Amino acid sequence: MKKHKFLKTIPMKLYLILAVFIIFYFFFNDFGLVDIQKTAVILAVGIDKTDNGYSVTTEIAVPKGSDRKMGGTSSLEIVGEGKNVSACISDIFSKTSWVPKFVFCDLIVIGERAAKEDVFSYLNYFIRNKYMPESCNLAVCEGTAQEIISSQSAIDDTSSLAIGKLFSDASVKSGMVMPNTLKDFTIGYFGPSKSSYLPYLRSTPQKGSHTHGGSGGSNSSSGGSGGNQVEEQAYSAEETALFSEGRMVGLLPHELTFAFSLLKGNVHAGNFNAKEDDADATLTILEDEGGVELDMKKQKVTLSLDLHARLCCKSVTSEVEEIASEEASDEALESAEKLLRADIEKLWNTCKEADCDLFNLRRSLYRSSHKKYEEWKDDLIDSLEVEIKTNVNR
Amino acid sequence: MKRISSRQLYFFLACIAPVGKLLFLPTQLANSARNDLLFPMLASYLVQAGAIFCVLLLAKRKMNLYELLENTFGGIAAKILISIFALFLFYATLVPLLEQRLFVQNVFYDTLPSLIVFAPYYIFAAYVISKPLSSHGRVWDILAPLSVFGFLGILVLSVGSADFGALLPIGAGGIRGFLRGTMSATNWFFDASIALTLLGKFDYGKGMAWKGALFYLAGGVGVLTFLATFYGIFQETALHQLFAFSQTSQYFSGVTVLGRIDYLFIFALALVMAFYCILPAQAGVDCLLQAYGKPRYLPTVFSVLVTGTLFIISLTLDYRFSEVLEVISGTMFWIFPIFTVMLPILCLLLRRKRREKA
Amino acid sequence: MKNITGELIKTKDALKKLLPSEDILTFDFISEKGMQFCVVFADPITDKELLGEQVVRALLDYDGKPTAAEVGAKLTSPEMKTETALDILALEILSGNPVLLFAGMDAAIIVGTKKVFTRAIAEPSTDVAVKGPREGFIEDVKTNTSLVRRRFKTGELKIEFLEVGRRSKTAVALCYLEGTSTEQVVKEVRKKINDIDIDIIPDSSYLTHFLSSRPYSLVKQVGTTEKPDIFCAKLAEGRVGLIVDGSPIALTVPYLLVEDFQSSEDYFVPTYRATFTRVLRLFALLVAIYLPAFYVAAQLFKLQLFPVKLLLTISGAIRDLPFTPSLEMLLVLLVLEILNEASIRMPKYVGMALSVVGALVLGETAVSAGFVSTPAIIIIAFSGIGLYAVPNLIEQTSVVRLAMLLVAGSVGTYGIILATGFMILYLVTTDNFGAPLVAPFSPVVGRDLRDSIVKYNLGSLQKRPKSLKSPNKRRLK
Repeated sequence: MKKHKFLKTIPMKLYLILAVFIIFYFFFNDFGLVDIQKTAVILAVGIDKTDNGYSVTTEIAVPKGSDRKMGGTSSLEIVGEGKNVSACISDIFSKTSWVPKFVFCDLIVIGERAAKEDVFSYLNYFIRNKYMPESCNLAVCEGTAQEIISSQSAIDDTSSLAIGKLFSDASVKSGMVMPNTLKDFTIGYFGPSKSSYLPYLRSTPQKGSHTHGGSGGSNSSSGGSGGNQVEEQAYSAEETALFSEGRMVGLLPHELTFAFSLLKGNVHAGNFNAKEDDADATLTILEDEGGVELDMKKQKVTLSLDLHARLCCKSVTSEVEEIASEEASDEALESAEKLLRADIEKLWNTCKEADCDLFNLRRSLYRSSHKKYEEWKDDLIDSLEVEIKTNVNR
Repeated sequence: MKRISSRQLYFFLACIAPVGKLLFLPTQLANSARNDLLFPMLASYLVQAGAIFCVLLLAKRKMNLYELLENTFGGIAAKILISIFALFLFYATLVPLLEQRLFVQNVFYDTLPSLIVFAPYYIFAAYVISKPLSSHGRVWDILAPLSVFGFLGILVLSVGSADFGALLPIGAGGIRGFLRGTMSATNWFFDASIALTLLGKFDYGKGMAWKGALFYLAGGVGVLTFLATFYGIFQETALHQLFAFSQTSQYFSGVTVLGRIDYLFIFALALVMAFYCILPAQAGVDCLLQAYGKPRYLPTVFSVLVTGTLFIISLTLDYRFSEVLEVISGTMFWIFPIFTVMLPILCLLLRRKRREKA
Repeated sequence: MKNITGELIKTKDALKKLLPSEDILTFDFISEKGMQFCVVFADPITDKELLGEQVVRALLDYDGKPTAAEVGAKLTSPEMKTETALDILALEILSGNPVLLFAGMDAAIIVGTKKVFTRAIAEPSTDVAVKGPREGFIEDVKTNTSLVRRRFKTGELKIEFLEVGRRSKTAVALCYLEGTSTEQVVKEVRKKINDIDIDIIPDSSYLTHFLSSRPYSLVKQVGTTEKPDIFCAKLAEGRVGLIVDGSPIALTVPYLLVEDFQSSEDYFVPTYRATFTRVLRLFALLVAIYLPAFYVAAQLFKLQLFPVKLLLTISGAIRDLPFTPSLEMLLVLLVLEILNEASIRMPKYVGMALSVVGALVLGETAVSAGFVSTPAIIIIAFSGIGLYAVPNLIEQTSVVRLAMLLVAGSVGTYGIILATGFMILYLVTTDNFGAPLVAPFSPVVGRDLRDSIVKYNLGSLQKRPKSLKSPNKRRLK
């Protein structure tokens, strides 16, 4: 009977032990855990090539203000240097003792010099890092990444958040920017095309902007020359850097970036200029159906564009009746077609010269015929005849 | 609670069993068969569905596995055979358990946590194993909708980011890729073995064998859809995307606005997986209980012994998952087809009529 | 067992010896014809006015034979019986029923003039309905059974009075609808009640322990209600009910977890509204249990659960806090529980002051002083409100919430998942009186799902819940 009672109460005793165990760990646990207070929440990373290796600039989010009832975003830039990215990150850790967490990193900026070499020699670190979101935006910048990340944005306290706005859906729909993510860039690199593209960032000082101290805004530990005096910057990413086999091989100016966007079928509210009566007529694109078609029988690639547009504004003052009409004239549409055809041709030639398979033609060939791909993969771009079809309608 | 209903069994085959194939297997298949990864999976599913068909036919005989063996070979031989089968089931637990551990360490924590964080799983496993296998029928009733919720949620968030053209050209991996893929998938297909241990716990209904196989294939269609989405998203980089189902949904545009809402679905599937990956061990214990009787203390003793051993093994094999996988799905891959495919077929040859007991 | 004798004095002395307490009084009187009578009664619980009216006045002119039958015929009380065993007479006196003795008697007469202390029937404070009946059970078993009887004008309603408690002899009314309730459940309940060997039963909650298949379990296994309409609806579904004397809370078995997500009002409002509120209750309960746990787990182990801007807000709010996120949350939770406990027990006039002190002063000052952060207070407040969306499960869910918090603070989100797994396995393997606790979800009972978290139109609920295994399946023809 006693034994039976003992056996019956075993589960209760086990639950009790388990509860004590959990409570003990609740109060005394430290499974090497890195909680919110020991963490450096990295919002953006900048990578630059230096003479001795690399320099990695991390933008770390810090709570804004001292009033604990207030939130907000402010940031701090820490620079680490070393022979490779891993050494740079370790350098940052040794400087701050904050454990860097990449889970919120939404931007990697590659400096101009670093982009000239195989970017995967350092992006490798982020691709292998299981805590790095591969949905993070990737961009190349003019000058060094450290400069652009440490700069003071005119529109946001945190530069990476200001840059992030450039890659929003609205920007993409305007056709001004061609953003790319770490994942898609990697796919382009490892895929049959071995090519990809990245937006090219530039920062320009804002006229009339005031210079201000670091309080409340971002301040850099990299020791900027101006002490706490920072000039506010505006960012743009209207150009697109072309990559082949991981190296930056060319740069598309903004009109070619727009043409590329149109061919991708991204544009839904973008504006562009055509000519009407020797004056500028700005058209708004309502519908964009772009496409790239590869026909290996004829060894021809067709770059086609079918747009629906309406008149947005004219540089010549119109009659009041005309203002009410949104219909673009035949002349404006014709001019638009011509201009776009010229841009697309220019785009094709730029890619061809740079040996960048921007339209993933090798990939298309690979998917349609593995055999033909093996046969043509090396000189596909050079051997193709190009046909450009543009059609701009009301 | 002592019986499993046919609905619960179908829930297991269609909704629970596929979850175990969404974690490491897609990466493994992408590694071996590249863009042809659907074919090894399809082949494995078809073979396993056939094996499940055989197992469900055995249910007509109204005997559990031990009774089936005892009926033909006698008590001692049946005990030996069923003990070997139980050992196989413990062996089959190894990969799901280790992949689960890696999954937990990587997905549930922002930085690599210490080993101890996975220890509570063994307490959970011990509790699950100590319960009769038949009680799982009711668990499946709860887990099946959770599994569908998690799976559909992830699929809906992922499918928009996929480029299904990446699955072309068909056959680029060649026969070799297909065979390598099929071989490497064997250790994830042990569902027929689990169904074998469920014999005697459910009643055979009309058309149950083909219905069961069809439900299993329906689950397979879900897995194949996920696999296609997975490869469509990651394409050439799929082979380094571990823990597939936790990766695909992060590219959904709503994630930037609401945060990682996809974790809701990931957690739902993780809960289902917590039950599924200990299921072979529980089935193994059930086999032993079938053979060696059911004194009240025995399930608890077995559960403590089995989870204790698994805990020690997983500690020993810490950070050696790829080596373990290489051995289990490489050199030793043939073990799984023996127990999960051949055994159910051979069981059909066992004596049909009950032997008169002396 | 001793019996009475014909001698009045001896019998009176024997009873006094059995009941030596000072509140046991005797009243001797002689009829006009000289016959001696004596009434023995328990002073505080006997209605003396009724006793004088129905017994003494009726016997003043008695001139019949000294037999119980003849004396009884002269009394005007509608409730009386005769008895010879002294023990039983003593017991009746203690129950408030006076015993009439007279010279030369063959048996004593027990008169039903018990004084009943009852409060008026009022709306129960724990189960308020905006629409629908407002009656609530009170402490008197007779009144309560009358409330039930009023709703069933059929002989199928059986009310059996059982007695529990060696000393309290508490009356327990076992109610069921014959032919609708499962006979096996009725037998099992009767057996369990009869097997109880305890000195007193002060409240119906004592019985739940004896009725549960897992008495040490945190999980509720017996249904409770204060409303006769709900009680009757449950009986009509095939359940067995128990009303305990002295308790306004009636019990019903078998109990299904889903019952507590249903309110009587759900049946008086449109179905879409009922479904919406039930889903809301479930959601609120899940939020109450999981929100603090996930909040802590996210801060400690998985920051990604927060959108980045929320993370930075939280990060700013918890800066310089002296506690870890888990301890902070535990502290706030404990304060909430203490406030809750105090506000229930405190006199009403202090309660108002307490809520002001608790909610405003303590909360605001704690945040200003930097002991706790604003997000933690918001999370706990939200969780606290959510808990009250399912009032019948508060005792259980508040403990589960605390357990979840401890697990989350120890092992993080995966701990929460495992704890949920534990809970699922535990719940689905719990049966009570043959009904699975989590039915109709596990095992799935398609028909019963129509009145679970989802509420179908009354016309679609033609049959009684299958999970209860009622022999009378159809309720709507």
